[in-house]
This record gives sequence, C-alpha cells and structure tokens, in this order.
Amino acid sequence: MPDKTLLKIDVVIIGGGWTGLTAAYELAHAGQRCVILERGEHRHDATSFGAPEEHDELKYALHYTHMMDVKQNTLTFRNNRTQRALPMRRLGSFLPGEGLGGAGIHWNGQLWRPLPSDLEMRSHYETRYGAGFIPDELSVQDWGVTYAELEPHLAFFERICGAAGYAGNLNGKMRAGGNVFEGPRSNEYPNPAMKMPITSTLMGQAAEKMGLHPFPMPSANVTAAYKNPYGAQLHPCTYCGFCERFGCGYFAKADPIICVYDRIKEHENFEIRFKSTVLRVEKSEDGQTATGVTYIDADGQEVFQPADVVCMNAYSLWNVHLMLVSGLGTPYDPETRTGTVGRNYAYQTIAAVDAFLDDSIITNPFMGAGALGMIVDDYNGDNFDHSDLGFVGGGYIACKQYNGRPISYQPVPEGTPAWGAQWKRAVRDNYLHHADFVVHGSSMSTPENFLDLDPTWKDIYGRPLMRMTFNFPDNDRRMSDYVMNRAAEIAQSMDHVTSVSSINLAAAGNDYSVVPYQTTHNVGGAVMGTDPSTSAVNRYGQMWDHHNVFVFGACLFPQNLGYNPTGPLMGLAYWTLDHMKNDYLINPRPLMDA
Amino acid sequence: MENLFSRRTVLAGLGASAAAALAPARHAFAQIDDRPFYFFTDAEARLLALICDTLIPEDEFPSASQAGVVDFIDLQMAGPYGKGAGLYMQAPFVAGTPQQGWQLPHVPSEFMRRGLAALAESEAGALSGDAPAMDDLLTRLSEDTPDLGDIPAGAFFDELWKLTNQGYFADPMYGGNAEYAGWRMVGFPGAHAYYLSFVDKHNVPYRQPPMGINHKPGGNGAMPRPARAQEG
Repeated sequence: MPDKTLLKIDVVIIGGGWTGLTAAYELAHAGQRCVILERGEHRHDATSFGAPEEHDELKYALHYTHMMDVKQNTLTFRNNRTQRALPMRRLGSFLPGEGLGGAGIHWNGQLWRPLPSDLEMRSHYETRYGAGFIPDELSVQDWGVTYAELEPHLAFFERICGAAGYAGNLNGKMRAGGNVFEGPRSNEYPNPAMKMPITSTLMGQAAEKMGLHPFPMPSANVTAAYKNPYGAQLHPCTYCGFCERFGCGYFAKADPIICVYDRIKEHENFEIRFKSTVLRVEKSEDGQTATGVTYIDADGQEVFQPADVVCMNAYSLWNVHLMLVSGLGTPYDPETRTGTVGRNYAYQTIAAVDAFLDDSIITNPFMGAGALGMIVDDYNGDNFDHSDLGFVGGGYIACKQYNGRPISYQPVPEGTPAWGAQWKRAVRDNYLHHADFVVHGSSMSTPENFLDLDPTWKDIYGRPLMRMTFNFPDNDRRMSDYVMNRAAEIAQSMDHVTSVSSINLAAAGNDYSVVPYQTTHNVGGAVMGTDPSTSAVNRYGQMWDHHNVFVFGACLFPQNLGYNPTGPLMGLAYWTLDHMKNDYLINPRPLMDA
Repeated sequence: MENLFSRRTVLAGLGASAAAALAPARHAFAQIDDRPFYFFTDAEARLLALICDTLIPEDEFPSASQAGVVDFIDLQMAGPYGKGAGLYMQAPFVAGTPQQGWQLPHVPSEFMRRGLAALAESEAGALSGDAPAMDDLLTRLSEDTPDLGDIPAGAFFDELWKLTNQGYFADPMYGGNAEYAGWRMVGFPGAHAYYLSFVDKHNVPYRQPPMGINHKPGGNGAMPRPARAQEG
C-alpha cells in the first residue's frame, strides 16, 4: 500500500527529458493537466553548465557527473544465453542521463532523419532484392509508419532545435552540398551549416574526388541567433569542444531545458516533481488500462498518482524495465520467440578510422562541437547496392572534430607502444595532426538479442535489475567491415595523409563489451508496429494491451538505423502526440484493432 | 582565500566532516617537497611514483610524478572516486568475462592499496628502481601474467595506467598536470574555450598559453597545496 494517494490528474509523464517535456508542452497546451515525475534533480544551463567550470573533462566526461548513477539502478549483461549475466557495475559503453533534460543535456546534437527505406526496412529489402534476401538470423521489421507521415514532425523538431545544415533534397529537388540520399524535406534547415575545420574540409575534398557526396553533418549546435517555435532564444555555437557528456552554458546546443522546459514551466497545466522515481505503472483490475503510477517521492514516501493517461518517457532501456516490473504487455521469451516486451533490443555498430597528417596541417582538435564534421552517406541504409554484399544496413562515415580533450583524445599511429617513452613522444607529435573518422553503423535486431529481468541482482528499491543479452549479429560485423574499409579508402586518399589505421569494434571475434564507450543509442525492447505479435505498441506508440499507456523514445525502434536516434525518436514523439491530441483524448480507445 | 574555490571543488563530495578528518600526516616521501598525502603511506607513494614514472617517463617534458600525478592519484583515492562513487557494489561478486567489466568486490582505493601491497610482496626484486626491470614488470602486468593473489594483475595495470594518464592531463586543480605539463606537451589550451572566429582558419597555430578552470593571471591553475604539515 502506498503511503499516500494523490488526486487524479489527466496525464502522468514518466521522465523529464526530450520526449517527456515535449509531451508535457503539447498536452498541457491541449488542456490536459500534466505532471512529470523526474527521478533526478532540477538543473539549468544558466546555473549548472557555465564555462569554465563545465569544461572539466575529468568530472563530466570521465566521472559521468551528468549521467545516471548505477548505484540506484543498473542492468546485468551477458553476450548470450549460455552465460550468466553480471551487473554493469560502472558506466561505460552507453551513458543514460538523469535529472532535468535527461540525456538530452549531454548529447552531441547530431540531428538526423531516417531514410524513407529505413522505416520500411523489411518490405523495402524484400521488394528490391527478393523475399529471401534478409538473413534468417535477423528479426528486422517495418516500423509501421512511413517517412511521408513523419516528415512534418521531423521538420518541426528541427525547428525546435534551430538545426544547422543544408538540405540535399528540398521537396524532391536534389542539391549538391547537402545529403542527396535523404528523403524530401518540406523546408530548408532553420540555420546554415556549421563552419568546417581543416580535417573535415580535407575529407570532403577527398570524398568528392572519389565521386562520393560529402556534406556537413546536420547539427543541433546552433549557428546563428535563433528563436524556436516555442519562443526559446538560442545563440551561436562557440566550438568550445565540450559538448558530448557536457551541458552547454552558451545556450548554443539545443537541449530540452532551454528549448522546451523554460517555455512550459509556468503553464497552469504543468507540474514537475523532482527526485521522484517511478517504481511501477499500476493496472486496472481487468488489466486493460493503467490507473496511474506508484513512485518514491523526494521525502522517500511511496506515493500513488492516479491518472487517465500514462506516458512512458524514461530513457529507452528504463521504459522497458518499467514495463517488465509493472507487468505491462507480455515479456519476450527467446525460447518460444513469443511475447513482445524486451524483444528486438538493438544498439549501434561502431568502427573508427584514424588518419595521421603531415606537420603542415595543424588541426587544432580542441576547436570542436558535438555535431561538427563532414559526412559521407553513400554507404548508409540502402543508399548502395547490397545485391552481392551479404548483409543489410549500412552507416555514415564522419570525419568529425568534436573533442580535443586531452585525456580522451590521444591519437597515436598503429604500432605505437601503449605507454612509456615512445607513447609519450607519439602523443606529443600527433595531437595536432590527426583526423578522426567514425563509421556509425546500423544494428539489426535478432531473436537472441533481448531484454528481460535478472534472477539475482536488484536495484536500491528492491526491483530486479533488467538483464541485457546482446552480441553483434554476423550481418552487422560484415556491414561494419565493409563501410569501415570505404572510410579507410577515403582517409588514404586525403591530401597530407601519412598513415591510416582502423578498428572495427564489431570485427569477427570481438564480442560486444559494456566497457568501452560506443554510443548511448540503445534501441528496441518495446518496438512499434502493426502486428501485436511482433510489437509492444501500435504504430501510434500506444500499447496494444493497455490503450491509455503511450510509449516514447528509441525503445520503439524495431532495429537501429545508421543514424543517431534523437531526430527519429522526436519525430515519432510529435507523431504520437498529434494522434493523442487530435484523436485519442477526444475518444479514448485502442487506435488500431489488435 | 584566493584559491578557496579549487580546494572546494576537489574536496567536494568528501563532505565537510570527512574533509576535516583528513588531517594530512607527514610522510618521508612528502618531505621531499613538503607535501603530505591524504591516502597513501610513504611506502605506497614511493612505489606508485616508480610505476607512474615508468608509464610516463621524463623527457623534454616532466615525468608523471614530476607533474604531480602521485598527488593526483592520492586525492582521487581519498575522494569520491576512490570510495566507489559511480560503482554498483551489490553482492554477489562473480568473476565474469572481460566484456562484462569490473566485477571486483573492492572500491578503487581498496583495490589500489591491496594491489600495491601484493606487488611489493611478490615483485620486490623488480621494484629496485632499475628502469629496464620496471619496464619489464609493467609489461608483464599489462599482459596479466604475474600472480598477485586475489588481485587480477591486468585489471590492476589498467587502473594504474588510467589514473596516471588522467593525472597527467586532467585540469591542474586536481593536483596533477603541474604547470600545465600535459597540456603544454600536446598543445591543448584548456578550459577557457571560445573558438567561433578561429575554427575555420585552417593550419594556423593557436598560440594562447593553457588556462585551467581555476586559472588566475600569471598562475598555474593548480589547487593550493595543503599548508605545510604540522610538526610532530
């Protein structure tokens, strides 16, 4: 029994990050009384992220001061079902956030749209290459929503962020200098593309000579003074080099606090409660709907908050955890391959290429920004012919300059000892003469990569930890090798290059590890779709089994595309909110027949 | 009082009472340059200096210990990191695969103390201070070969190397990177960062000297050294 039960509200929103604050903004303006429950504390760009104190690599980038605390809740991990999963005792491979703004505070601002074919992945590949083309080991499926349906919502989020870039496909008209592979855009980017440092410029020149199509990375690091549609004022990026893992005290990286929270915090229908951790979503007696949520408040009391609608806006992984501990939907069982909650967990497949440059090139790597770089998208998604390649998916190749922070950025040529005098000399000689490439690859879902509850370890509230079972599918290992080799070719053809080295974290024999940072792009586990046997929520983000529960975030992705997830997941958030405001709230019911 | 800010920053998280309880003891090693340690004993600090200076030896730029890395690690061990901040410590502790990461039942400061003790005991011969012997010892540690009892040698090496590297390059207010040694070596200008008009000026050296978070004109960004240790 809870210590207290509060008065019923219209909408309870679990989590105060990008999707939660946006849901509150849109629903509060639609007349709904909204309460956000945020497990972390209040913080603000103006008071919490100012320079130079924020420019502390040790405190923020390496001691994870803006991130979640694994002492409260973590997960257990194993590569496959024959192993015993063990707790992820320290953050590493991915860095979920905590506190106002969530992980949206410490993101890089790499703001992408999905390719039209990404959203119809299974049908697209089967149509183009034949019914048997997708390897049997994969459980890839369509999202249930098309690019044309999402486009207005993707565009709106870009306006919320003041996105910087150059449209490569404006209403169907292809334009050199932008991404000619992207789906049609209804509008130009709100702001011009970022300035390019020497590394990205050299990469672009090399790629163009090879007949590829380089363009500046789409960025939520803002390039001009800008007011967003909610009235938030953003300022130009300073290229300070402290972006990913840091908050932005310059009001120059779009984040949920300045772009959304400041514009809703005083609305009469809006309330946010900090240090409020939701323990579970409560169900009605017949199990058909949710009645509200039970949470631990800032005073440590257990509180029941009744609500007509529950919005799940926690970080991707913790949405799935909350469903599992609340008994929402049916847990996925890998033996029988039935159930949907926890099914199709996927990640991102990362490879890196290092290009070392002669001394005439001075890169000044500390002049950086989270979304600063030149991109080649010719090997992403299905932008290239997969007929003879033996894999599906792809990735973008970025030559980026986002971080010259001296503990994390110590590029040395292949063969350099890992420490000692030679290492020291190599770090000194190469710091200002190196170009950093990443291959940011897709991650296909498989029946063996999934999330469920751990039988042994608990969080501080006594709930079972979630258990992650994940390894790279062979499909993705092949994909990553292929795109990495294309990236190495570009690097080798750059002017002034003296040597090139590369590493595929998903190379054959490399099991996925939770130790080295890869990306905070955990996706799937509560995927969307049109078939209740293979999706936890319908194409509107509404749970099949409980129609007043709406789910947001990257847990909806049926597999991961080759892009960063924030753009796509915010497009989906606005899509869901559109259907809530204009349909569901007027007539609450399942929006699709099961 | 001018330096109060950085001192607070470094000791933040210790808690006022814990910080007060850290009455620095005076050690033989510390006497060399009047620096008491918060965590290490004299013997531990000497051993650690030997290790750090093998990992980052002196050349035209200072060695690790010359740049304050032993002080840095000492403060880290006494502070939140050493005490297990950001570490899930619920039992049971079960040995896992490398992919599953840290599974030891020790917080980092305990691990450091036990590791140094195990090393001193089982590798006394190599710890003579002779450079080739130290190189060899650290190579073997990094390859996870020596038997250090319940201390996994490879994991201990990783921890030593991580902390040494951090100490050489972290903001000087944490006690290492003295006189901006690490930053001057690579050409990193520090925390006061604003490059809007510079980022697209290609191949132009950036000539501003490094400035740390606690930088004052003419200063070195370091934390204040604790006052000269009490006699007796």
